Amino acid sequence: MKIPTPNAHNFPAELSRRDLLRASGLGFGSLVLSCLLAEEAQAGAGSSAALAVNLAPRPSPLPAQARSVIMLMQNGGPGQMELFDPKPELARLAGQTYGEKVEMFQKGSEGNKLLAGPFRFRPCGQCGMELSEVIPHLATVADDICLVRSMHTEHNNHTEALVMLNTGKIFQGRPALGSWISYALGTENQNLPAYVVLRDPEGYNTSGTLLWQNAWLPALFRGTEFSTQGPAVLNLRPARPQPSGAQADDLALLSRLNEEHRRRYPRESELEARIRNYELAARMQLATGDTLDPARESPATQKRYGLDNPETAGYGLRCLMARRLVETGVRFVQVFPPVKPQFQPWDSHKDVKTENEQICAKTDLPSAGLIKDLKQRGLLDSTIVLWTGEFGRLPVSQNGSGRDHNRNAFSLILAGGGFKRGHVHGATDDVGYRSVEGRVSVPDLHATILHQLGFDHRQLTYLHHGRPETLTDASVTKARIVGELIDGSLRA
Amino acid sequence: MSRPGHRPIARLRVVARTAAVAWVVFGAGAAALFAAEPEGPLYERDVLPILTAHCLKCHGREARKAGLDLRTFTLLSQGGESGSVLTAGSLKESPLYERIADRSMPPEGELPLRDEQIEAVRRWIDAGAHAADTGEPPQETASETSAEDRDFWAFRPLARNEPPAVRQTVRARTPVDAFVLAKLEERGLSLAPDAEPRTLVRRAYFDLVGLPPSPEEVDEFLRDASADAYERLLDRLLASPHFGERWGRHWLDASGYVDTAGGDNDAGIIKMADGKWRYRDYVIESFNDDKPFDRFLTEQLAGDELDDWRSAEHFTPEMIERLTATTFLRSSSDDTDENELNTADIRHGVLARTVETVASNLLGLTVNCARCHSHKYDPIPHRDYYRLTAIFTPAMNPQSWLQPRDRALADIAPQEKAAAEKHNAEIRKRIDEAKRRLSEIRRPYQDRLLDQKLTGVPEPIRGDTKTALQTPADKRNEVQKYLAGKFEATLRVAAEDVAAALSAEDRLQIAALEAQLAALPVQLKSWGTIQAVYDVGQPPVTYLLKRGNHDAPGAPVAPGFLSVLSSGDPAAVFAAVHPTGATSGRRLALARWLTERDTPAAALVARVMVNRVWQQLFGVGIVETADNFGHSGAQPTHPELLDWLARQWIEAGYRWKPLVKRLMLSSVYRQASTVEPARAADVALGGRDAAATAGAGAAATGATTDAPAGPDPYSIDPANHLLWRQRLRRLQSEAVRDAILATSGKLDRSMFGPPIPIEAKADGSVVVRDKDLPSATSPWRRSMYILARRNYHLSMLDVFDQPVVSTNCTRRDASAVVLQSLAMLNDGFVIEQAGHFAERVAAAAPVDRQVLAAFRLALAREPTAKEAAWCEELLRSQFDRYRQQAANDEEARRQALGHLCQMLLNASEFLYVQ
Repeated sequence: MKIPTPNAHNFPAELSRRDLLRASGLGFGSLVLSCLLAEEAQAGAGSSAALAVNLAPRPSPLPAQARSVIMLMQNGGPGQMELFDPKPELARLAGQTYGEKVEMFQKGSEGNKLLAGPFRFRPCGQCGMELSEVIPHLATVADDICLVRSMHTEHNNHTEALVMLNTGKIFQGRPALGSWISYALGTENQNLPAYVVLRDPEGYNTSGTLLWQNAWLPALFRGTEFSTQGPAVLNLRPARPQPSGAQADDLALLSRLNEEHRRRYPRESELEARIRNYELAARMQLATGDTLDPARESPATQKRYGLDNPETAGYGLRCLMARRLVETGVRFVQVFPPVKPQFQPWDSHKDVKTENEQICAKTDLPSAGLIKDLKQRGLLDSTIVLWTGEFGRLPVSQNGSGRDHNRNAFSLILAGGGFKRGHVHGATDDVGYRSVEGRVSVPDLHATILHQLGFDHRQLTYLHHGRPETLTDASVTKARIVGELIDGSLRA
Repeated sequence: MSRPGHRPIARLRVVARTAAVAWVVFGAGAAALFAAEPEGPLYERDVLPILTAHCLKCHGREARKAGLDLRTFTLLSQGGESGSVLTAGSLKESPLYERIADRSMPPEGELPLRDEQIEAVRRWIDAGAHAADTGEPPQETASETSAEDRDFWAFRPLARNEPPAVRQTVRARTPVDAFVLAKLEERGLSLAPDAEPRTLVRRAYFDLVGLPPSPEEVDEFLRDASADAYERLLDRLLASPHFGERWGRHWLDASGYVDTAGGDNDAGIIKMADGKWRYRDYVIESFNDDKPFDRFLTEQLAGDELDDWRSAEHFTPEMIERLTATTFLRSSSDDTDENELNTADIRHGVLARTVETVASNLLGLTVNCARCHSHKYDPIPHRDYYRLTAIFTPAMNPQSWLQPRDRALADIAPQEKAAAEKHNAEIRKRIDEAKRRLSEIRRPYQDRLLDQKLTGVPEPIRGDTKTALQTPADKRNEVQKYLAGKFEATLRVAAEDVAAALSAEDRLQIAALEAQLAALPVQLKSWGTIQAVYDVGQPPVTYLLKRGNHDAPGAPVAPGFLSVLSSGDPAAVFAAVHPTGATSGRRLALARWLTERDTPAAALVARVMVNRVWQQLFGVGIVETADNFGHSGAQPTHPELLDWLARQWIEAGYRWKPLVKRLMLSSVYRQASTVEPARAADVALGGRDAAATAGAGAAATGATTDAPAGPDPYSIDPANHLLWRQRLRRLQSEAVRDAILATSGKLDRSMFGPPIPIEAKADGSVVVRDKDLPSATSPWRRSMYILARRNYHLSMLDVFDQPVVSTNCTRRDASAVVLQSLAMLNDGFVIEQAGHFAERVAAAAPVDRQVLAAFRLALAREPTAKEAAWCEELLRSQFDRYRQQAANDEEARRQALGHLCQMLLNASEFLYVQ
């Protein structure tokens, strides 16, 4: 699809920065203005549009490897020892009482008895990375991914950990990673939102909209839900069918009335923004239809995402849409797994074997297909793919064959966007309870992603309650860029 | 009491006392030893990690079982209910060791200590039970804030200002105008002319009642030529019950009100906090009654400390009102009803958010930072945070936590509730008995009838079939399930058949029992729920938490206030209050501190409140950062005015309505919100007046296309900080939806009561639930009665910046995003209401007056000739379109009018107060 010429999404380009701030309707003070201007100076961005409260694309202050992100959110807490982190010791000691009392969340693990993972691991790809037999398709892209086995987070409940993963802290009320990135870089397609969320049309996963909130960033940086069924965006089409041309006539009148009104308030840029929004609404009706039509893809591509199989088709379609959106210039796409049979699909409390088989059957092929497709189209270099849950699982059994939540260790995948390929980073202890080598915190992950997009996480700030807030809050979290994950050959 | 030092000082016996800790005075040199690198085992390094994993949950983190808290050496040294638990150097006199060595601790079900862990504790005690924690009393400095800190503008007492003299006395209708004009005149500017009456009446309606005026109400005001017409309009609106709804909503924002319990994580799961709506209604009524703020605040912080409701025989309406008011302190999300989340960190989080919300709402300060360390920008020491926290721990004690379901109170007195529960148990027993009797009488008839029917079933399986049918569905085995599935429908004995077979005597008995069953449930007593806050037991000791970590308690902290806003000993304030009933009175003291006249605290609170009222009426506060009165916030644009208003407000008895009226009577409020650039010189000092003096009307000036010489307000003060015009303000989310309903004529104006339920659809929209509603017009109730969630708001409200309530909101956003346009164009609710609006117009006006009628309803004005022509054009084109679609004339006209009406709702003008 042709990428349209960028122009201001909500605000005309000729408006001053002060106008833009006021037009956002947030009543910013001069303090914010000076803060933003200072940031511009820091960033060395000469353009007066940098870090404005709009969606115009803007250059990053530092050299960037990536320009967009696809987050494959695998909520529920995927078990590292089932998927990514082989633990022979766990098999050897299975059934024995673990020496340290593990931190439980639910009941059922009081016995503290170690549970062996039910799946075999084998070396994959040229790199020989060991992966589980339950993810045969991700195994085929081993040479393209950077596997992090040493993640840790701060809370054992789904919501807190999901909010942490997406916003950097366990408490609700902070902006999501995608909101920060949209604020930082704007977007390249002015007919679509910067930040798109693709969830199962059947419902929300755990914690729903909390995971794409703008919080105190302006509302236009919130994730917009696109549906892969029916109209792509809520209210994109009239709730009741209308004869063709009826809305166009309506809009013609509206434009005249609003223009007349605006003339009485010549300096109110917000009124100008409203007029433009109605124009944008009309353009979105066209653009989203084009972008989200899977029929435009070859049968081979559709197959690569599993659209030919009802088991994989739902999540596969979302992965395919993610590629199309990134291709048309959308900055950040967040893809969610199926909500059935459970809305936290990786939450294997009962039986790690069958529960993992079930969710892998739905997600493994499309996740791998996305990475292959991006690579084939030359998009992987500029797109970060992040496959991650909110925490991992315990080495001990819960009620015999399940595992409870574990904030002390989990694994995730990074692909593309200048991350190392065929690389394994970090390690957990013998049984996979704690990350011990090369530990990576969630703020570290965020700092590293921002780095790949050309931002210093300490410098990307937004003034809230008089405090220059950052995504990583590094002075408290000690967030650092994890250089070991980054492909050195790509550095300037 | 003594404690061991690093150097074994003979055998020191650690004696427990219940509350107070006494400190032994060490000889010279001991202190120096403390600082040295320790050699032997240390509590923090060698013992605490073991206890943390195995013991701390019950002894410190989530409870103090047996009165024992092991989180620090100092707390451990205080022992428990049965005395000392540790004697340095003596295992036999150290129950701490004995209980783990004989494995009576940890109790069954918890992971036992390993031998080497017990050995580590033994070695530590033998070596003298040393600790890095010196237990030295904290350095309690008289004041951790300096005179300079106290001299910051927001923390000073209110200045005594008089309205300044101004040149344009004509425009200075009120003292407020004098303050604003004086600043304008300094820059050579003036106020804009008064807004047109039509504009003003619409503005006043939205600001006072949150609804647009009807065309009749506009006409009534326009017809009234008397000098005090405007003032009487304000009085009418201030007396309207909708005033409390509009202004109560602002207060609910600031206090963080929602109807739900917990974090509200998932769209499809609504966890209701029963009865919270009573607080919403309390707030509305308080505003309608113009309850003085000091009383209003005292009820909300400490309504439970004003009456001895615990031992009352009956709750008086006043007691219920005051207990309901304390729901104010229940706004913090509390997930501890879920057992997995009833943990120390979550409990401390609830407590912390309560403190932080109160500070944000009442003091306009973000105290959050001080939870972990002294505030970086503002003079709020780490200790002050825990002083404030100690005010709330008697009611919200993390070590003796009430889950929300247990914290909720009945709205009848405890004694009455016990009696009512006993009564209900008796009634339920009688209901069960009647049911049992009924089934006893019917059973033989049923069996007989079943046996008759069973003759139709082949004999070999007859017995099994009968057993299968008589086995409850969930207890049937596979064979029985099969048999039941096969025969149940045909063999079912109908109730009528049993009734027909009854003997006369049994029939009479059954009739009597059924009459009983109908009558009994009515006798069950029910009561409502109040989500109250009240002290639970004796006040616990509150500790400063190092780095905010609840596992790292520091020194004990006495309840107190922010030191920068206090003078003298806070203990005196606590001693001076006289709470009623078994309660600490700490929250009552807090209310006193916040509203005691002529104190810096009361001054700050009044500034924050007055500023928020100003913000509602002028779009931006005198302090633009209404949520931040600290060093990193904005400076007031009109500090003298702010202090003058605050002082007036307090001196006139802390009443809202006179304050709102005072502001609305001012020329500042009444001025136009737009000044055409060509006429901007009117606003420049001298422009208009000079022109008027010269005999040239404003119209003549306006006719000039070139801006006359003179200061241009657009270049002098482009952001309008000085208020040379009123601000154009977008309607808040509730007002947008309410205005749509008022315009369509469908608004249900009934007040109060349980919230109207909503549901989240799979497509992401949130709509009013379409079944089990209290009435047919419930979906059209005012927005403030729609169920209030933290995250999943009604879509129409959400898109217009209904705030996410993670804590509270003292300043609404007003964004202009494309999703708003999409909602106004395509949302089912808007289309439906546009249809009702069109019907209303069609019923009220003949075809040739419909454009006019629609304008008057939606925009409170008549269209210009140009606008009317455009609208007629749309009506024609849509009429033709529908006519071609084989609609008849009447239908096509109806559809066309619907389109026009919806576009008027979409017009920018509809969304703004001008």
